[in-house]
Amino acid sequence: MTTEELEQLLAQQPIALLHRLARGRVQRHFRAGKRRLIEVLLRHSAENRAGFESDLMILIGEKPARPAPAPAPLHAPTARKPKPSGAPRRPGQRPAEPESQELGIPLSTWLEGLGVPSSSQPFIPDAWQEAAIAKLRESDVVVSVPTGSGKTYVAVEAARRAIAENRTVIYTSPLKALSNTKYTEFSKIFGADQVGILTGDRRENGQAPLLIMTTEILRNLFYDAGGGEIDVRLDTLGLVILDESQYIADPERGVVWEETIIFCPSQAKLLLLSASIGNPHDIADWLTSIRQTPCHLIKHSTRTVPLRAGYLHPNGKLSPLFRTAGIPHGHPSHLHPEAKRLFEQYEDETQPSGRRR
Amino acid sequence: MPPSIHPVDLIVALREKHLTPAIVFLTSRRACDEAMQAFDHSHIVLPPVRQEAIAAVLEKVIAQYPSIAEHPLIPIVQRIGVAAHHAGHLPSWKIAVEELMRHGCLDAVFATTTLAAGVDFPARTVIITQSSIRKSRDFMDLTIGEVQQIAGRAGRRGKDLVGFAIVTPSPYIDLTVLTKGFTGHPEAINSQFVISYPMVLNLLKAHPLDQIQPILAKSFAQFQLNQRAEVLERKLDDLRVQMDPFGPRVCTDWITEWQTFDQVRRQKSHRVPIKKFESPEIAARFHFLTPGRIVAFGRSRGVVLRQYRSKGQKSPMITALRQGGGITESPAATVTEISDRILDCVDAPIYPWCTPESVEDLLHNLDELPTKLPELPILVPKDNEPIPDAIVQTLGDFACPACPSRAACQSDYPLASKLRQEQHRHVKSIQALRTSLWHRFQEKIDVLQQFGYLTPASRLTDDGEWARLIRIDHSLLITELLRADAFNGADPAMLAAVMSSISNDDDRPGSFPRVSSGLASLLGQVRKLAASLSPHEEPPLLRADIAAVTERWIGDPTLTWIGLCKSTSMAEGDIYRLLARTLEFLSQLHTLKGTHPGLADTASRAIATLRRGVLEELP
Repeated sequence: MTTEELEQLLAQQPIALLHRLARGRVQRHFRAGKRRLIEVLLRHSAENRAGFESDLMILIGEKPARPAPAPAPLHAPTARKPKPSGAPRRPGQRPAEPESQELGIPLSTWLEGLGVPSSSQPFIPDAWQEAAIAKLRESDVVVSVPTGSGKTYVAVEAARRAIAENRTVIYTSPLKALSNTKYTEFSKIFGADQVGILTGDRRENGQAPLLIMTTEILRNLFYDAGGGEIDVRLDTLGLVILDESQYIADPERGVVWEETIIFCPSQAKLLLLSASIGNPHDIADWLTSIRQTPCHLIKHSTRTVPLRAGYLHPNGKLSPLFRTAGIPHGHPSHLHPEAKRLFEQYEDETQPSGRRR
Repeated sequence: MPPSIHPVDLIVALREKHLTPAIVFLTSRRACDEAMQAFDHSHIVLPPVRQEAIAAVLEKVIAQYPSIAEHPLIPIVQRIGVAAHHAGHLPSWKIAVEELMRHGCLDAVFATTTLAAGVDFPARTVIITQSSIRKSRDFMDLTIGEVQQIAGRAGRRGKDLVGFAIVTPSPYIDLTVLTKGFTGHPEAINSQFVISYPMVLNLLKAHPLDQIQPILAKSFAQFQLNQRAEVLERKLDDLRVQMDPFGPRVCTDWITEWQTFDQVRRQKSHRVPIKKFESPEIAARFHFLTPGRIVAFGRSRGVVLRQYRSKGQKSPMITALRQGGGITESPAATVTEISDRILDCVDAPIYPWCTPESVEDLLHNLDELPTKLPELPILVPKDNEPIPDAIVQTLGDFACPACPSRAACQSDYPLASKLRQEQHRHVKSIQALRTSLWHRFQEKIDVLQQFGYLTPASRLTDDGEWARLIRIDHSLLITELLRADAFNGADPAMLAAVMSSISNDDDRPGSFPRVSSGLASLLGQVRKLAASLSPHEEPPLLRADIAAVTERWIGDPTLTWIGLCKSTSMAEGDIYRLLARTLEFLSQLHTLKGTHPGLADTASRAIATLRRGVLEELP
């Protein structure tokens, strides 16, 4: 066999086989991708080409000899019944668990709906978004919704209304990078003269009605106001929007959010936007207990764009992760039999013997 | 260790299934960079239309941030439509990648999970390759909230009907962490209230001391402490109900009464007094009569094989191997001399209490011994008389033996005393929960008074007035440095360098430029001061190599960004962050114009030099 032929043969093999081949020959082979792995394998085989080739032949020969798993998955994703591919695997060792007998959905169903929604639909705000904006008229609002639900829409609309009433709006985010992104974004929406930014070292358009800053800066503003150095902006302050307010649990910086909320003037409404957290009602109750008006909690856990979880095997095989198309909330063990089988296979192949967890 | 899917294969697979654009979350920056390198020899090339689209978007970004015009990654991003996005990159480059992603020009972005919270670009698909992330030097499993935050990037509102979060295994992945993360309810968040020195100073500036406690009570920390206290109070109420049957009896506080009585009763001497026959001397010596010890019985010698107490009288006894081979049981009192010599002897649980071989050895050794052996000095405690007698006599004063409720007290006592202990414990913890914040605040006040930032009446001193304007980490160290005039005559570069070494908390190793001798000696002083402040404030890392990077940038205004990057192995993004943070620290010093004009001037000169090149064009 020439080097080129060998290289081609290696390239045809699945990467798992290459890793098995590399075991004991190449150090840290798991780091390398397929191409790199083949390269290194060829380099190492130069001294003992015959031994290398025979090992390769044994591994290749072994493949069809092993029971079903290799060919079966090829049809499994599209097949109506994934069960046969899950069951025959090492029947002696692993008796089929009751779970794996339940059918998972086929991959085609899982992939259904993939694509772009027709763009003709006008944007209609969700009920919770409307509710949040409406409630903000009379009370503070805590919003806890999943990532990507459209919290920004609430912030923009709330800011728009406050500006219309000639009130200053302060929007804070935990990171300077996010502040800058929002600055650009809001400048496009409200016009450049309406938006200002204050960060640790940047100060632009500081008298604009909508000010974007990091939470630390706002805290400092409140401290200065408390110390007697009154900032004119705080007199007309009508709305404080704290984005990503789940940062209140940050070990180092969380205290800044608490200080900001404690010292927020009572005439300004607070709008706390947070990702899904376990105890949003605690935050709302807390605000109710320290602020003059009772705080309103907006909370929901369904995503606007539904989420599906999948499993991609290193050999490129894709499978749904769970038996159902959506996420089975509260049932972490409802794994798709195919994903489960593939992951077990992965663990078997990759765990060094004798070191099983 | 296990393999993971090759980045090229991954992208190809995603494209085939129309799952792009995707964000691929990887463990480390290096993993992201390596994933990009993997495309070096791939045959993936974007169609010219898309390449042009990327170029068009990049052009717009470059117009705003010229520094990335020459970015080495531009050609490859343009060719393959894939980019990396992590903290090692310059913010302008990250903005460019985000912009590309927003315009849908890229098929995939390799990012680190630490950025999951900080990036604001969703995608159709999110690829998760890990179940743990590095948090302060340690790998921790992802929390449910974090998994959902990561997965939440999938599915763009208005652009996708569904989003996909796809797990692909890599070394050390734990699938259950992820499945639980997908399906679980996010964790509750807890307050992380820390009382810092600037906080104390600023609060006391605006409010008199007696108003502070109500302010602290408004914190979320106190809200959560109160919640816990309420739980305990409910428990306390339950306990009170349970304690009902154990109310006052013949005596009001019968539990304490019975407890004392019971203790005294237990201390009463036994019917057969054991220790009466044991002189303090023997009691002291008995501890030393351990197996292997050479002892003398008058003229003959022996080796102790075991010690025990006799069955009836409990008198101290030893079994000894005597010269000549006899094994005798004798009272410890018959031992006349205890030598300072122990022979090796292997214990056995039955007669002769050691292995037969060691009996042989012992006998042999015993004969070999010199006639004179050093005696073991044993301290005999004087006045070893047990005291209880006095208490025992007072036993007559207790009413309990003759009390009518004696039987009830005796049977209820264990439960009642357990309940009462629990009650006391709860009361104490409730008290602690209600006052801990205030105590922590007072501790800080004490320190500030000790250093002279606060008067004994907790008003701000002159030093306190300006010190409250330093609202950054390590504020105590910085204000103390100012009071010690450490920066007297320091040039802008030196000041900025020290500030950057105070601000930096990254212990990543690397190669860095050399420090000037002036800076080195100044840093030495800072380190000394930081060490002396360590009981009150965690000292910063104060790395000289980090300081040197800043010193070079400010000391040499002609130095270009590329030149600076070449002088160190720090990643561009890290240098940028270091300088940006230094800038923040310097601008805090700049606020001290009124009291420290010289320093504020040096700081503003440093800021002016610092803000050039990449740092100027960026926010």
